[in-house]
Amino acid sequence: MKASWVLLQNGNATGNATNATAGGVARPPSAPLADSIAGMLGLDGVVGAIVGGLIGAFIIANVMMATTAVAGPWAKRKITAAFTDRIAVNRVGPFGLLIIVADAVRLLSKELIVPDGVDRPAWDIAPIVIPFSALLGFAVIPFGSGLQLADPETGLVFAFAAASIASLGVVMAGYASNNKYSLLGGLRAIASNIAYEIPLIVTAASVVIFAGTLQMSEIVAVQQQTLIEIGGVAIPQWFAFVNPFAFALFILANLAEIGRNPFDIPEAPTEIVAGFQTEYSSVYFVLLYLGEFIHIFLGGALAAALFLGGPSGPVLPGFVWFYIKMWAFFLFTQWARSAVPRLRVDQFLDAGWKGMLVLSFANLVLTAILVGVIV
Amino acid sequence: MSLEEPDPTDAVPAATSADAMEALVSEHVLSRDDHLNAPGYVVRPDAVQDTLSTLRTEAGLDHLSCVTAQEYEDRYESIYHLKSYDDPTHEASVVVPTPKDDPRSQTAEPVFRTADWHEREAYDLVGIEYEDHPDPRRILLPETWQGHPLSLNYDQERPQIVPLSEHANPLQDDQRGDEGETMFLNIGPHHPATHGVLHLKTTLDGEQVVDVDPDIGYLHRCEEQICQNGTYRYQIMPYPDRWDYISAGLLNEWAYARAIEDMAEIEVPEYAQVIRTLGAELCRIAAHMLAIGTFALDVYGDFTAIFMYAVRDREKVQNILEDLTGQRLMFNYFRLGGVVWDLPEPREDFFETIRDFLDDLPQALEEYHDLISQNEILQVRTVDTGVLPPEVAKSYGATGPVARGSGIDYDLRRDDPYGYYDELDWDVVTDDGCDNYSRLFVRLRELEESAKIIEQCVDLLEDWPEDNRTIQSNVPRTIRPEDDAEIYRAVEGAKGELGIYLRSDGTEKPARFKIRSPCFSNLQTLPEMSNGEYIPDLVASLGSLDIVLGEVDR
Repeated sequence: MKASWVLLQNGNATGNATNATAGGVARPPSAPLADSIAGMLGLDGVVGAIVGGLIGAFIIANVMMATTAVAGPWAKRKITAAFTDRIAVNRVGPFGLLIIVADAVRLLSKELIVPDGVDRPAWDIAPIVIPFSALLGFAVIPFGSGLQLADPETGLVFAFAAASIASLGVVMAGYASNNKYSLLGGLRAIASNIAYEIPLIVTAASVVIFAGTLQMSEIVAVQQQTLIEIGGVAIPQWFAFVNPFAFALFILANLAEIGRNPFDIPEAPTEIVAGFQTEYSSVYFVLLYLGEFIHIFLGGALAAALFLGGPSGPVLPGFVWFYIKMWAFFLFTQWARSAVPRLRVDQFLDAGWKGMLVLSFANLVLTAILVGVIV
Repeated sequence: MSLEEPDPTDAVPAATSADAMEALVSEHVLSRDDHLNAPGYVVRPDAVQDTLSTLRTEAGLDHLSCVTAQEYEDRYESIYHLKSYDDPTHEASVVVPTPKDDPRSQTAEPVFRTADWHEREAYDLVGIEYEDHPDPRRILLPETWQGHPLSLNYDQERPQIVPLSEHANPLQDDQRGDEGETMFLNIGPHHPATHGVLHLKTTLDGEQVVDVDPDIGYLHRCEEQICQNGTYRYQIMPYPDRWDYISAGLLNEWAYARAIEDMAEIEVPEYAQVIRTLGAELCRIAAHMLAIGTFALDVYGDFTAIFMYAVRDREKVQNILEDLTGQRLMFNYFRLGGVVWDLPEPREDFFETIRDFLDDLPQALEEYHDLISQNEILQVRTVDTGVLPPEVAKSYGATGPVARGSGIDYDLRRDDPYGYYDELDWDVVTDDGCDNYSRLFVRLRELEESAKIIEQCVDLLEDWPEDNRTIQSNVPRTIRPEDDAEIYRAVEGAKGELGIYLRSDGTEKPARFKIRSPCFSNLQTLPEMSNGEYIPDLVASLGSLDIVLGEVDR
C-alpha cells in the first residue's frame, strides 16, 4: 500500500510539470501536505517526497480511522437513539465515549471463525480491500488548511476509481464466503454499484464541466467565487447553490453507493441476514465495518469538495469546516436509516437505471449546454 | 352495537338447522354425536370429502376452523369443526371414527386446503392416517420421531434416539441438479425476519421465490398434553399465556375460560365481563403495536424509528396491564367465573392512567400513519404484494386481521358475541386490498376500535355501583363436567380465531384439549402469497401475517 503512494506521487509530480507548462497556469504544489512535512523536516528531492508522503498518508489515514472509530461504536448509536427517543450508551466514560475503547477490545478479542469451505485467499483479502479502497480515495481530498496529501490533475477520477475498488472486495467477500446469503448480498452489491456509480460519476462530471478541471483543489477554488450578493452577505459559488438538482442527484447516488437506507440492499438485514458480511467475525468484521464507515465519510468528503465549497466557511479554520461537512453527510445517512424504508431490490435497480441514469445524463447535457452558452 | 344487518342478497343457502343439514348429507350420516356447540354428524371414513363439500356448498359452512383428532378405547376419531364465515354461530361437526387396527380416513384437503396442515398434525400427534393426503409427513415433531405422543398406548419411556444417519441433515453438502437454475435456501430457524424459530425451506430462482415450505415445530412444548394433565379449575389457566406470548395473554386465557365456562355452565358476573373486555382489548392493542413495529422492522430493515415508537407506546399498555394483573408477560388473571382480583386501588388513578393513554393514542397513531401507511416507499413495497384473495383465505381458514385484510368481514367479538362486546359501540375493520398493506392498515385501524372499547369500559367501570362489584361467581373447587361432553368454543384473539376443543371424561381433567391456533392456519397461506415474488416480499408477507411461533407450535 505504502509503496504505491510513492509511485503515485512521483507520477503526479511529472504530470503536474507537463500541465503547468502546457496550460501556463500557476498550479498549487502537487502534494501540499507531503511537501510541507518534507519542508518541516528539512528534506527535499526524492527522500523528501517519500518521507513526507509516508508521514502525510499516516496522518490522514489515522485521522479518518479515528473518525470512523468515533462514528461506528458511538456516534451512530447516539444519533439513532436521538431519532428513536432513547438514550443509548452513557455508562462508560463521559457521554459514553469510552464505549469506543470497550467495543474495540470486545470486537478484537472475539474468535475469528473461519467457516468450512471458504475460498481462503479471497475471503481473507476482501476485508482488507474494502476499507483501504476508501482510504485510498482520501489521498486526493482537499481538507483545507493545506491538508491534502496529493493533488494530481486527475484527482476526482482517482477518488472515484479508488472508491470503486470496494466493489471488488464486496464480490470477493460474497463469493468466497460459501454462504448463499453472502452470495446474494454480493450480487446485489454489484448490481447496485453498477447501477448507481454511473449516475454518481456523470453527476460529478457536470461539476467538472462547470469547474473546467478534474483537480480537486481547483474545483474547490472555483467555488470560492461569489455567486450573488444579498444584503451585503456574499453567497459563494458552491455548486450545491449553482445546481441544486445535481447536488440532490449526487447525494442520492452516494447513498446507494455506500449502501445506506433506503438503498441498503446489499446488506438488507431481515432479508438476507447481513449480505456479503454474514460469515465474517472478529477482526475481519471490524475491517468490513470500518470500510463501510470510511466509505460514508469518503462520500461526505466528495460531496463537500464537489458541492459544498470544500473547506470554505466563516470564522472557523478550513479543515474544521470540511470535517463538519463530512459529519453532516454522515448525520444525513443516519437520518435516512432511521426514517426511510428500504426499497425492494428490483425497484431499487429500476430507480437506478430508469430514473437516476436518465436524470443524471439530462443534467450533464443541460449543464454542458448552459456552460457552452454562457462561457 | 353498530353492526349492520346481514345483507340478504349474499345470504348462504339456507339449510341452517341441524336437521336440515343432516338431510343434506343423510346418505353418509351413520348417527348423531352432538356437541355442546354444534350438531355432530358421524360419517364413514370414505365419505369425508363428499360430506364436507356438500355442507360447504349447500349449508354455507365454508370455514373449516379446526380438525381435532383423538383416540378412544375402541376407536380413533377425527372431528372437522365447520363454521360459516358469514355467521360463526352456524356450526356443525363432522365426526369420522376409524377403527383401532387400521386408522385410515379420507383426507379433506381437496375441499378445504387448511386440512393439509391440520391432518398432518393429527397424524403426527395422534396417529390417524389420511388417505390421498398430498403431503403425509409429520409436522410438529421430527420425521424420525417414534410413536404418536397423544395416542393412548404411547410409551413415554421409549428412547427417541435414532441413528444420526436417519436424521434429515439441513446442512447437506453442495448438490447441483442437472437442469434448472434454482437455488435452495434455508431461511431460518435462525434468521432476523422469521419472528422466532420458523424455518422456511425456500427455492429461489435468482431473487424470486419459486416455492416456500414452512417447517414448524421448533417451539412445540406439548401444550395440549400439559393442559390434559391439569385440572380445569386452576391448573390450566396459566398455560394459555404461553401460546401467544406477545402480550396477548388475556385474549388466550379468555379462549379457555369461554370453553370451560360454557361446558360447565358457569356464570360470569357482568362486572367481571367488563373487566375482562377491558383487559383483553388492552392486550390486543399491545399485540397489534408489536405486530406493526415488527412489520415495519421487516420492511425498513433496522431497529429504526417506527419500531421504537411502537415499542414505546406498547410499553404504556404493558404498564397498565401490569397494574391490572400484577404481571407483564404471563398474566394468569382470568379465573373460571370471573377474574382473580378487582381493579387496582386507588381506582381513580388507574382510570386516569388509561385515559391518559387513550388521549395520547390518536397522536401516536397519526405518527404511525405518517411514518408507515402514508410513506410512499412503504406503499410501493407493500401494495399489491403478498396478495391473498378472499376465496383462498377462506379455504385456508385464515382469520383475524389476515382475513379482514382480505375483505372477509369476520370477527367473533361481533359475530359470536361473548364478554361485554355486544353492549358496546365499535366497528369491525375490513379492507379489500388483500395485500400486505391492507393487513397492516387493518391492524392500525383496529387500534382505534380497541381504544373505543376500552374507553367505554372505563366509563362503565367508573360508574359501576359500589355494592355490585362481584369479580367471580361462586364456582365449585372441583369441576367435573358431565361425562363425554364435547365443546368447541373460540374467541377473537389478537391473530384471529383462537378456539379450544374440550372433551370431558367425568374427571376433573379434560380427556382431550385441542387448541385451534389462528397463527397455525394463517401461516399456511404463506406459500400462496409468496410464490413468484421476491425475497423481500416473502419477508414482508411473513411479517404481515404476524405469527407467533409459540402459538403455531404450541
